[in-house]
Amino acid sequence: MINAHHLSKRFKKLLAVNDVSLSIGKGQIFGLLGPNAAGKTTVIRLLCGIIEADEGDVLINDLNTADAKPIFGYVAQYFGQYEGLTVWENLEFYAQMYGIDDHERLNYLLQRYNLSQFKDLLAGTLSGGYKRRLALACALAHDPLVLFLDEPTAGIDPVTRKLLWDDFYQLSAEGKTLFVTTHYMEEAQRCHQLAFISSGSIVANGTPDEITQALGGNRVYTTMLPYQPKVQEALLNIKGMILVNQFGSELRMVVKPNVDKNHLEHIIFAITENNCKLEETKANLEDAFIVLTQDSSSPEFETTT
Amino acid sequence: MIKAIIKKELIQLRRDPRLVALIIIMPIVLLTLFAVALKLEPQNVRMAFVDEDQSFFSNMIKTGLWSDGYFDLYEVNDRTQIIEEIRAGRAKAGLFINKDFSALITENSQPHIRFFVDGTMPSLTTAMKYHSNSATDDGVTGNMYFSDADAENVVIAQEPFIMDTEILFNPDEKETWFFLPGVIGVLIMQIALILTGITVVREREKRTLEQLLVTPMSRTSFIIGKLMPYVIIALLDFYFILIVGWLFFDLPQPSSHGLLFLLALVYVAVMIALGLLISLISKTQQQAMFIAIFIIVPSILLSGFIFPLEAIPDSIRPVSYAIPFTYFVDIIRGLLIKHTHFIDLSASYLALLGFVVVFVGLSIIKFRKTL
Repeated sequence: MINAHHLSKRFKKLLAVNDVSLSIGKGQIFGLLGPNAAGKTTVIRLLCGIIEADEGDVLINDLNTADAKPIFGYVAQYFGQYEGLTVWENLEFYAQMYGIDDHERLNYLLQRYNLSQFKDLLAGTLSGGYKRRLALACALAHDPLVLFLDEPTAGIDPVTRKLLWDDFYQLSAEGKTLFVTTHYMEEAQRCHQLAFISSGSIVANGTPDEITQALGGNRVYTTMLPYQPKVQEALLNIKGMILVNQFGSELRMVVKPNVDKNHLEHIIFAITENNCKLEETKANLEDAFIVLTQDSSSPEFETTT
Repeated sequence: MIKAIIKKELIQLRRDPRLVALIIIMPIVLLTLFAVALKLEPQNVRMAFVDEDQSFFSNMIKTGLWSDGYFDLYEVNDRTQIIEEIRAGRAKAGLFINKDFSALITENSQPHIRFFVDGTMPSLTTAMKYHSNSATDDGVTGNMYFSDADAENVVIAQEPFIMDTEILFNPDEKETWFFLPGVIGVLIMQIALILTGITVVREREKRTLEQLLVTPMSRTSFIIGKLMPYVIIALLDFYFILIVGWLFFDLPQPSSHGLLFLLALVYVAVMIALGLLISLISKTQQQAMFIAIFIIVPSILLSGFIFPLEAIPDSIRPVSYAIPFTYFVDIIRGLLIKHTHFIDLSASYLALLGFVVVFVGLSIIKFRKTL
């Protein structure tokens, strides 16, 4: 449904997007995951035709972006509707921009996004969550086949976030293709397909399971150990250490295959004088995310993608 | 606390190089422009003349008027044509010398000659009246005295001839007639440039433009959709100001309401299109405001509205002709006060139409569908 070939975009000296190719099937929820400033928004803007690529091309349902405009919708990262118009006026305006005058559909969208009660309120007075719903309703006014969502749940409370994701699944079940950018790990887990972007380049691409396997032969160890700066420092100095990550009282490490588990335990014991047992575990998405988006020039970094 | 706010303001200002450039460049450009351009002394004011006398004496008068460089004389056929030349705007002044002029001079009968002045341009009218003195100064009249052997000696010789000055179109030299027609244009310029000047840049600042750019709208529909409401508002404003002028300020009725409407329409379109162009060029609303002021101030001063075009040096004159308001002033004075024929205003109407085409065209080119 969405095919991007070798997209590149440079802003003066900064290569914001570097040779990005993506292929996304119909009805998929595709997540583009990456740290801040990795190029997520630039990619989504290139796909929507808001900015022009220096190189590469985009096809949406086999149409170029300009011709595909009637069949896709876009929700920007920031509230892009008119704060001085009411909820209904905004919805009606965006529908009319696509030549749609179907009040029944617009009322259905108001109901679907729980906005009926705010129909006559100025959009500027809505809370963040409802603004996001309005943006979504506006993007769906013309019943598009594809929906681009730039960080759709950033700054949204968990309950609303869940409701929005339930809705995304429903939209996907209705046959719509969703392209979502995010830096939330839990959201990434929800996507059918994922790509990791780092410094403008795609560093991993696949299902969440496939991505976690991108760490290849590298091993992941975990143990229950509260945060101790000296332990962190000592572990990071070990040759072959890729990632040290603390989750509350859980300490996780990603190491190269040649790093000996006993050696790690020994180092921890030397500092804490606690006999802690390291357990080998499966990499999770966050391990993969941090490792893959670390400076890829780092000598410690190797992936098997 | 105040120090922190001042510092923050200065930092923000420094980060907006275009605004800083405008703040620095605008005063320098305007100061230089006005220092060079703003003069009260007109040069080469076109003067239509009829010299029925064609004598040594009448030539003295013409030479007197021409030699100081104030007037640029050209001949027309008859007295009514002088007035028509001024009405059409081809001449700003006129001179009529009767065929018996030299005969009366030699008889010491103090003949009259007639000096016509376009009464629609405040400072020019006054300046022309003043400079007409060069027709009656000693250098000209010195040779026009003829002594009669029988006449008694007089202490002060009477003037050899009398020049009657006729202020055309505004005989009472009413200030409201001088200024009000142009004021309408100034007000519309302000309303239009500022209303439309912020319209696109506000969408950019509020981030609504990005959301709009993904819709299938064409450039043309965006531009027309943006222009139309403001054209209508500015047109209503135009007539509102006119009606107030008619009711309370003795503004004269136009020679043709149709032509006045045409002027309103074209002028409003020029100003709105220019406002839109400003909005497309600007990155922030502040910049748009500055550019609007950058245009409004010279428009007022270099258009012939206050200072005569004839007083602006030739090197700067092209700037005056690049200002749409110049043509508006010409047409509105023609319609309301001089009752100029359409054919004589058509060039100015065409110039305004040209501005519409240029500004709308540039707006469409500038409005890239990409951010």
